[in-house]
Amino acid sequence: MSDSVVPAVWFRDVSVRFPRQERAVLHGATLTIAAGEQVVVFGPSGAGKSTLLAAITAVVPHSVVAEITGAVTVAGLDTLATEVVELSRHLGVLPQDPDSAVCLPGVAQELAFVLENRAVPPAEIADRIDAALDLVGAAGLRDRQTGSLSGGESQRVALAAALIGRPDVLLLDEPTSMLDADGVRQVRDAVGAVARTGAVAVLLVEHRLDEYAGSRGVAGLPARCIVLGADGTITHDGPTASVLPAAAAQLHRAGCWLPCESELEAALGFSGGLAAPRVQRALRELAGDAADAGAHRAPEFGPVVLAGHDLAVSRDAAPRPVRRRPWPFRRAGQPGQDARRDGTVGRAEGAGRRRVLVRGVDLELHAGEIVAVLGRNGAGKSSLLLTLAGLLAPAGGRVTGARPGLVFQNPEHQFLGNTVREEIAVELPDGSERVARVLAEHGLGHLADRSPYRLSGGQKRRVSLAAMLVHDRPSLLADEPTLGLDRRATIATIAAFRRAARSGRGILLCSHDLRTVATLADRVLVVADGRIVADGPVVEVLRQGDVLARAGITVPPLLGWLVAELPSGTQLRRALDALDATVDAAAGGADPAARPGTDASADDAGLPAAAGRAR
Amino acid sequence: MSAVSALGAVIPSPLARRNPTVKLAILFIVSLVLLFVFDPVTPGLLYLLGLAAVLGFARIPVRTLLLAHLPFVGFALGILVVNALSRPGEVVIDLPPIRVTVEGLLVGSALALRTMAIGILSIGFIATTDPVALMTSLHQHARLSARVTFAVLAGYRMLQQLPREWQVIRQAQSVRAPLRDNGATPFGIRAFGRAAFTLLVVSLRRGERMSQSLESRGLGLGARTVWRPVPLGPADWLLLAGTVGVLALVIAGVGTLGLGLGPGVLF
Repeated sequence: MSDSVVPAVWFRDVSVRFPRQERAVLHGATLTIAAGEQVVVFGPSGAGKSTLLAAITAVVPHSVVAEITGAVTVAGLDTLATEVVELSRHLGVLPQDPDSAVCLPGVAQELAFVLENRAVPPAEIADRIDAALDLVGAAGLRDRQTGSLSGGESQRVALAAALIGRPDVLLLDEPTSMLDADGVRQVRDAVGAVARTGAVAVLLVEHRLDEYAGSRGVAGLPARCIVLGADGTITHDGPTASVLPAAAAQLHRAGCWLPCESELEAALGFSGGLAAPRVQRALRELAGDAADAGAHRAPEFGPVVLAGHDLAVSRDAAPRPVRRRPWPFRRAGQPGQDARRDGTVGRAEGAGRRRVLVRGVDLELHAGEIVAVLGRNGAGKSSLLLTLAGLLAPAGGRVTGARPGLVFQNPEHQFLGNTVREEIAVELPDGSERVARVLAEHGLGHLADRSPYRLSGGQKRRVSLAAMLVHDRPSLLADEPTLGLDRRATIATIAAFRRAARSGRGILLCSHDLRTVATLADRVLVVADGRIVADGPVVEVLRQGDVLARAGITVPPLLGWLVAELPSGTQLRRALDALDATVDAAAGGADPAARPGTDASADDAGLPAAAGRAR
Repeated sequence: MSAVSALGAVIPSPLARRNPTVKLAILFIVSLVLLFVFDPVTPGLLYLLGLAAVLGFARIPVRTLLLAHLPFVGFALGILVVNALSRPGEVVIDLPPIRVTVEGLLVGSALALRTMAIGILSIGFIATTDPVALMTSLHQHARLSARVTFAVLAGYRMLQQLPREWQVIRQAQSVRAPLRDNGATPFGIRAFGRAAFTLLVVSLRRGERMSQSLESRGLGLGARTVWRPVPLGPADWLLLAGTVGVLALVIAGVGTLGLGLGPGVLF
């Protein structure tokens, strides 16, 4: 279909500027992507990666109001003169959010839809559906309803739908940022299989390159690499193997996640990755002496602030009866007892009808302690948090302790105010001096009068965390607090949690981000096969290969090496903190307050990295 | 792919095999004709015939059928009571302030039975029809544009996710709400409004992303093909003709017996 002489994508001196913004998001971009070429684009948050994709799909300027100068062609068609829908003949797009990546109720129907729109004869459609699903390793999903798919499955179906029309260019817009480790692997392998066919040019935009590249490191990435600087210009363009070392320092400082060897080179100044003796020596130096004071001293925590006793967790509970219970809830969850107290519980949730996800959970959270829960998607981690927070009735056992705070995965679900200031002030007396203090503490001062819905992803998370911490609840629960954040925002989140723990709160979080967990947590719980299979310090748990395999946990290479080589958790944390400290805390030199407030704007991390020192 | 209707899984049955557009057309025709009928006998007969047809050909579980009746029964009773009490005419019961008239009872029961007749056909239609097949068929046989049909289908998928989304939003917001003395979190008009606003914002975002996805899949490129056409065969035409025939017979029969009443009864 594609003519090898016509480039798949061609940009000449392209700048894009959105209304009411002084700075161009994309600045003088010139590039050519040949048919069948594999390219990865990366750059810090707000550098114009999404805008680059929008210019290719012609969403800019046709659907989104923006001023574009220069020339863009896709498969030889001028995007300024071609409608979005017309260009769709040549493009396949895989968006970020699995929920909106598939649109129709059935998988086969979703794929057929693309071909129907292109007027493909019905007789050919069934075979092409099979071929497209085979290519992405999703043949078994053909007859499923799209509503029942996991995130990784959804993304593979969406990838098949993007490819089934045999496009010239495949655009991948951070396709794995919302997925767990299994999902990342599934999507990466599927994209790899597509790339090997050589039939389509692939443009991958990704900021979580460490996870995407996986254990293969730089070799696991597309062969060509384009780097966007914070000002929206193309700073590097060439073979990934040579560009990445050159650009690593710049990207690392700007808060991008890099493959292990690139990160180590940027942070330590030595190439060669974990195998190189110089790198190993430098990492050991960062970790410090094992006999160092405090290395073996057991951490001292306060009294128990939240506890579960022989808890059984189920997702199938109406939240309604729970709201009727007095705090602190010292009530057993047995249906018989509940039924006597409150008829609705017995009616809706007889023990037999509720599917129990995790049972026999005994946990104690102490003041000042940070505990992380690990496990597969769907293992019951979120339901455990909801049960501890009193939002789901336990299917068995009981919860004791004062009412905890809970930060949800999507911060927007929790917003109650029209401005950031109102958001923090919810349920506080008028004119409380706490509001200003918390705004300053979390670096939100300059955003105080903005709508919380119009902030960047990292800023939204910071607001929802601050709004929960402003109240003096003795324990804080958090569901995937670093999902989708760039490295700088992740470091700021880690610092905020540490401050909360130092001020005497007990913190329980569930996360797929093992590195954050290792940096932050005093203790780790692993959920697998419906129960807690491990409970102990990070280093000890991460050394138990069989436990990790049961729970579907993949330890990233750097963390794996540190866990294997360093004798104590204190050293592990010291090494990770030292690596985090090499990331610039300030946003790329630009004044954060001057940044315009769209979702595309950079995420300023108004917190000094020094705040993230080990406790 | 197993078909799923709004009332649960579609059970294979003679009615489930008929063309959705034809079924919708029948529902529409009967409703339209009943608009001009104001005697209780015609809609009463049609209800019984419809019930027999649904019991015989739709294989809907009795429990589902009874539950689906509830909204129609409630609405029908409301109409009956309002008409009986408010319509002027010959008084049968006079217990001030309650005054029931013959005309009121007549028109009220006619309207109530009309509701039931349309209700039973709606139940038969909804329980035997997969929305996807309906949309495909409307596009194929009723010339509804692909943009509309697929937008509706994408909306249908969003609708399926809505209860879950609502539950999460309620949980997320009630964590932040103050506790009353009995430990409950209040859920008043304000809290409801806030949760509804959040649902609106989240849904609008998703709707926008979905419309971009639909466009990137090539919706609106022009002439399109249909992979699995919904069949429209002689049996469907027979169903349509048969239903119209029965409808005509009932009206003619009731008219011949002198029991039929038109809109004139209202004046």
